[in-house]
Amino acid sequence: MAPLTDEQRLVRDSVREFADAEVAPLAAQIDIEHRPPLETVPKLAELGLLGMIVPAEYGGSGTDTLSYIIAIEELARACATTAVMVEAHTSLATWPILAFGTAQQRDRWLPALATGEKLGAFALTEPGAGTDAGAVATTAVREGEEYVLNGQKVFITGGGYAEVFIVIARTSHEGAPHKGLSAFIVERDTPGFTVGEGERKLGIRASSTPPLMFSDVRIPAGALLGNEGDGFKIAMATLDGGRTGIAAQAVGIAQGALEASIAYAKQRVQFGKPIGAQQAIQWMLADMSTDIEAGRQLTYLAAGLEDSGEPFGEAAARAKLFCGQMASRVTGMAIQIHGGNGYTEAYPVERAYRDAKITEIYEGTNEVQRMIIAKSLLR
Amino acid sequence: MKIVVAYKWAADPQEATVAADGQVDFSRAKSAVSDYDAVAITVARHLGDTHGADVVGLTVGGPEVATGLATKAALSRGLDALMVVADPALTAAGSTGTAQALATALAGVDDIAVLITGDSSVDVGAKLVPAVVGGLLGWPVLTEVTAVAIEPGALVVERAVSGGTEQLRIDGPAVLAVATDAATVKAPGMKDVLAAAKKPVQQLPADPVVADGTLRSTARLSGPARRGIQISTDDPAAAAAELVSALRADGVLIGGQQ
Repeated sequence: MAPLTDEQRLVRDSVREFADAEVAPLAAQIDIEHRPPLETVPKLAELGLLGMIVPAEYGGSGTDTLSYIIAIEELARACATTAVMVEAHTSLATWPILAFGTAQQRDRWLPALATGEKLGAFALTEPGAGTDAGAVATTAVREGEEYVLNGQKVFITGGGYAEVFIVIARTSHEGAPHKGLSAFIVERDTPGFTVGEGERKLGIRASSTPPLMFSDVRIPAGALLGNEGDGFKIAMATLDGGRTGIAAQAVGIAQGALEASIAYAKQRVQFGKPIGAQQAIQWMLADMSTDIEAGRQLTYLAAGLEDSGEPFGEAAARAKLFCGQMASRVTGMAIQIHGGNGYTEAYPVERAYRDAKITEIYEGTNEVQRMIIAKSLLR
Repeated sequence: MKIVVAYKWAADPQEATVAADGQVDFSRAKSAVSDYDAVAITVARHLGDTHGADVVGLTVGGPEVATGLATKAALSRGLDALMVVADPALTAAGSTGTAQALATALAGVDDIAVLITGDSSVDVGAKLVPAVVGGLLGWPVLTEVTAVAIEPGALVVERAVSGGTEQLRIDGPAVLAVATDAATVKAPGMKDVLAAAKKPVQQLPADPVVADGTLRSTARLSGPARRGIQISTDDPAAAAAELVSALRADGVLIGGQQ
């Protein structure tokens, strides 16, 4: 990997300064309250974090992908929920409009999304369609100049507050299941569109992940993103970029746990000396640091490939696979270093341990990442 | 009209380590715009926006202050342009040498309304530089400044003083060292970071550096002796009285009722 540019280093410094001041102080409380930190959204927007990948002509910051990935990493170091709020809004809702939207769709939605005037979400998962994304059952039937949506989505990150949804729905039952899917831009206030109560989760408890219900939801034909039948392709391309974002989230969670562990190892005294003087603790810290750096490099590699216009799906899958497992390993060791204290809510590593697990599951499980990598190897 | 902000590109003490023998090691500490100087830039930016003036940064130091990272870091905080005096001889400059270099640079700049500085540098904290610069230039110097306004031919300055504030009207230009809480510093936005590379940076030559003296030795400062005082809190009122008494005996509490 090439060294980071001055701008990328300054993005890291700036987001860290912001996250330490505005994000970290809320992290424990919003986790306890199971509520998204919506009070942080205007501050995220002011800093330009909600439109990093959006070109300046649409009101965005116009940074490269790697800068955006660094920002997600730094947010996650302070609060995994805030990181995934930004990641889902950017990678899963804003990016597909940027990549596949018509000029009219870009003009209409990107300025509002880039400035945080509206937040976005991505609705693919259903009760019967998770890893098997081609099994989407929500339907979109063309009636004149409208589509009529019916069905249900679950675990939609940002669903509780987003106003713009990228919805994957079935427009055809002919041929292979995944070829009958299409993508739509759906507004929250459309009649027949309702949002349910979110699940209470193991980790990222503050993240809003409710079910969505579509009951004869009529949307204009112009809300179709790409062409009919492009839905699976759009969803997979969107998730490729999203996976780099989740890998970055995992790196950030692990980095926060490592820093907490280093601080604890310096101040916790047992047998008359700080536990950091014990080789057993030193080796754990060394392994954690090495694991994190390996994951960081895989993640930056995927982002760098995307920035250079090269295929990056396999690299993103590799980064997500490694980083999700790495974050679980590292946060587990962080609890071990903290001993009984680490098992309590009084220390941030307890939350980090719970938050880390989801990075092995959402936006493609470990097993899906292995499928993607193996498919590429055996091509 | 220019508002100049003097800032220091300084190693962050929070990233320094203290060895068992008390020696402070800055070798692994990242450098950044000194914390209190970021407050000065924020005050200057507000003043510049209010009065339509250019806000120009000025820093002096070793070659590291002229790196792309250092200059962009400062510019991303809201400066319109930058003047840099970078010379190896300034790497270890003390307050006098730094002030001399700043004053020399300022002497060649036209139309300065005010020089704004931080309260002190985050690594040294001597609070000397503003006063020495003002002395060298013959400009008035005010510290603990909490607000500034520009009027024709004058500056209206609010200062924090014991028990309240005072407002002064002084002829400009002047050196104003802002209080640490004079403004809330915000992290640079993403657009500010990207825009920094497009702003002008002027490199100025360094004059021979005035030495503050030659370091011969350092000695560890021993702390106050522990006297083993223990205060029982069984009776809170008595404990409070005993605590106050002990603090008076140490000279921590002064004045008021005995």
